[in-house]
Amino acid sequence: MTELRLEGVSKQYGTDAGGTTALAGIDLTVRDGEFFTLVGPSGCGKTTTLRTIAGFEEPTDGTVSFDGTPMTGVAPEKRDVGVVFQSYGLFPHMTVAENVGYGLRFRDPPEGTTVDERVAALLELVDLERMGERNPDQLSGGQQQRVALARALAPEPDLLLLDEPMSALDARLRESLRRQLTQIQSTLGVTTVYITHDQQEALAISDRVAVMSNGRIEQVATPQEIYREPSTRFVAEFVGENNVFDGTVRTRDGDRAHVDVDGTTFELAGPSLPADGQQTSFCVRPTALTRGVEQNQLSVTLETCEFRGEHVRAYGRWNGTAVVLQLDTVPEGEAVSVGFEPAAAHVVTSQ
Amino acid sequence: MSLGDRIAADRGRLSALLERHVLWLTALLMAGVLGVMLYVPVGVVFGNAVLEDGVPTLSHVADVLTDPFYFGAVADVFADPLAIGTHLGSLAAWLGAVSITLSLEYPLPGVDLPVPWLALETPGVRKGLFGFTAYQAALSTVASVALGLPAAYILANYEFHGRRTLRSLTILPFVLPGIMVAVGFYAMFGQTGTLNTLLGTVGLGPFAFIETNPLAIVILAHAFYNAPLVARLTVAAWESVDVRTVETARSLGASKRRAFRDVVVPQLAPAVLTGALLTFIFTFMTFPIVLALGGLQLATVEVWIYDRIQRLDYTEAATLAILETILSLGLTYAYLRYESAQAGFSQAASRPTRESLVPDLRTTLSPRRLAIFTYGLVALVVFVGPMASLVVGSFTDGSGVTLRNYAFLLERQLEGESFQTLPLPAIRNSLVFGVATLVIAVPMGVVLSVLTVRAGRSGTVIDTLAMLPLAVSGVVFGIGLLQGLVFGISLPGGWRLQMTGAVAIVVAHAVAAYPFVTRNVSPMLANLDPAMVESARALGASRFRALVDVELPLVVNGIVAGAAFAFAISIGEFSSTVILASGSESYTMPVAVERYLGRRSGPAIAMGTLLLAVTAASFVVIDRVGGRADR
Repeated sequence: MTELRLEGVSKQYGTDAGGTTALAGIDLTVRDGEFFTLVGPSGCGKTTTLRTIAGFEEPTDGTVSFDGTPMTGVAPEKRDVGVVFQSYGLFPHMTVAENVGYGLRFRDPPEGTTVDERVAALLELVDLERMGERNPDQLSGGQQQRVALARALAPEPDLLLLDEPMSALDARLRESLRRQLTQIQSTLGVTTVYITHDQQEALAISDRVAVMSNGRIEQVATPQEIYREPSTRFVAEFVGENNVFDGTVRTRDGDRAHVDVDGTTFELAGPSLPADGQQTSFCVRPTALTRGVEQNQLSVTLETCEFRGEHVRAYGRWNGTAVVLQLDTVPEGEAVSVGFEPAAAHVVTSQ
Repeated sequence: MSLGDRIAADRGRLSALLERHVLWLTALLMAGVLGVMLYVPVGVVFGNAVLEDGVPTLSHVADVLTDPFYFGAVADVFADPLAIGTHLGSLAAWLGAVSITLSLEYPLPGVDLPVPWLALETPGVRKGLFGFTAYQAALSTVASVALGLPAAYILANYEFHGRRTLRSLTILPFVLPGIMVAVGFYAMFGQTGTLNTLLGTVGLGPFAFIETNPLAIVILAHAFYNAPLVARLTVAAWESVDVRTVETARSLGASKRRAFRDVVVPQLAPAVLTGALLTFIFTFMTFPIVLALGGLQLATVEVWIYDRIQRLDYTEAATLAILETILSLGLTYAYLRYESAQAGFSQAASRPTRESLVPDLRTTLSPRRLAIFTYGLVALVVFVGPMASLVVGSFTDGSGVTLRNYAFLLERQLEGESFQTLPLPAIRNSLVFGVATLVIAVPMGVVLSVLTVRAGRSGTVIDTLAMLPLAVSGVVFGIGLLQGLVFGISLPGGWRLQMTGAVAIVVAHAVAAYPFVTRNVSPMLANLDPAMVESARALGASRFRALVDVELPLVVNGIVAGAAFAFAISIGEFSSTVILASGSESYTMPVAVERYLGRRSGPAIAMGTLLLAVTAASFVVIDRVGGRADR
């Protein structure tokens, strides 16, 4: 199928002086058949990136290429991409079947099938076999979303682009739909770029994830790496809950380092630790900051506790720094002593 | 590759190229059409005013500006703008002489009904033609707001049978031909009109309402037109007031009255002001109503321009036209600035509930309800009266039921000379011009909508330039077309750009009508989810295909509504038609009505009734056709 490559893609709105930068040089390779997710807070440039790939926006600088062919100046209708929008963009004056068949007015159905067969096959793929003659407004949100997916897939696009396709649906429906989506994607093997602001969703469905912030890519990695080894402070704080501490390296000896944070010294273990005297930041997940660990003790003054069923999430302060903990039970008293293993800390760059 | 293949490939490439650029090609075509139809005529008028034998001159403009006949007391200021002390002195002297008195008056002769009368005694000041035009526009604005606000209050706050219908009907005066309204007022308030007939049954009258106080009748006719506009805008604002904001104010300690003043009024004020400003602009450029009801003794700028043209004094007419256009453009610009400064009316999250108007007998007899019913009676006289009188008046004369008026029309048709105004050609012309206007104005308006909605900021500029017809009066446009295109313009290479009166009339109508198509289509187009067009394009549709397949089918209601407006405007257009039709056989129904308006108003009233019937019938047809397209 298709490998997608973005090289130095930037997007500037308005003139140099009063303009805004939506994308500040994006480099990205999405492998053939990969389920790739762009995640980030609203306004980080993820939708602009998708619109640039689809051809609705021309980059101010840089190139987008499909399988090595530059797409500069190629109109959206010539790019062979399937797009599903957050609002679905279904045509209200056409039936479900007409919606799904619309792309086949411009591209032939796969060899050996007629348009009608192709439409029927797609409706079956998304479990909407008997809905063909309905109007889109007679369907539920989840069904509309599946029609939009079937419509995008009908002309066999090289690339499937999904812009927050589930954000209008409720949590339970979202989970079942995204299982269905990943199944369809792996069956068809179509290269897919998925946009979301929901980091949990990104971790759950993707082969690889790119975390974006302020028009830049912070990190590209597998979901496990993103969660366990965030490379920047932003990624550490955006993906899942995290405790980030800023300090200075006192001593460093091989894969061990002692870091001074506000007068308290913590021991860190792991590869690629910073050198003596350097400013550094490291993060510890709430799950790793627990009672009963002897090393790296800190006494947290509690502010609020949330009972979450399987566990308790506790918010408090240590030396003025906000700290979040995961506990088994609601603690008694106003403070709790916790610690973390030296290897549980992960160093991040502050940018 | 064989030759045939190459030709096919070339053809394919050409059609792809055409399709890709079809919107820009239509834009160019559109600019060309607008240039010839709109900017050339206006430019010709402008040239007339500031060119003398090909040499630029401001002397005509200066002559008009310093002539007290046109600018009254202000002419002195224009004549000698630096003598500020003298001007301030005369202003102070004038202000010192103003007096206000309150007295009891008996306005109806022979009736013992005292009315407290607030008299504003001002020393005579020469207003001049422009001053008078502004003066009557200001009075008309006050009358329209005064008549429109109670209607808005009732429509927004009370529930009764036919409320929704009534609310929709507020659009109707807008599409009624001005000359028909004028004749309706004749039928209502004339010597043998309905009001005098009614008063006669109780032994009063007859009164010569129109002859003794033409200004009052003209202002009432303007209110007939514009009060529904004020009401319409205000009701929309009132319905978008979020009732929770009022409830919040009440819970914070504001009384009902205080909450109304602090929360509701500030949200209504912009709408009322918008209505007032539009009313002022419309009545400043008023023409058929003043011409028919007041004549030259009550001349506004527009009527005077028309009179100059009749006397073939084109230079003076053009100079006046330019000054009038500058003023109305300034007002329109102020309006657009003001309109864009306000946030659009958002739909209220929770609308206020409406009280029933007649819940039970006791409430019905409360002072507030009685005031509402009194207003209803006044509204009946002002709004329904003229139209009903038009129909009734066509079948009656001073003494009783008669078919004489229609007999006159029939006789004129059968025995009239060809130079006379005949009823049938008028009806035929009106319908032909109406259809031709549709054919031109609807595509123009739709293309303009598509271009402006999608073009972003540059679209606003195009939009403003293309909305010029709203600010240029029909009479001005009429002269421009007459002098520019009917008399002909020499082009380089011995060509001449020239068109006949009938073609020019259609052009004038189309130019007046297409902004209404655009105004109806643009909001619907702008509200479409952009994801629909983008989905279509990602699926392989070109921009043009996406327009045809997705956008146009979804705005078909707006197109039909725009078409109805365009047709109604063509049927009712008077100002430019009367100029372009003079001395030719391309007169329309409104022009015929005006020509029949002689010593006896009977034939004109009958012709006006025919105009009403044709207008109504066309609306039914368009509604049917549109309803079918909708399905």
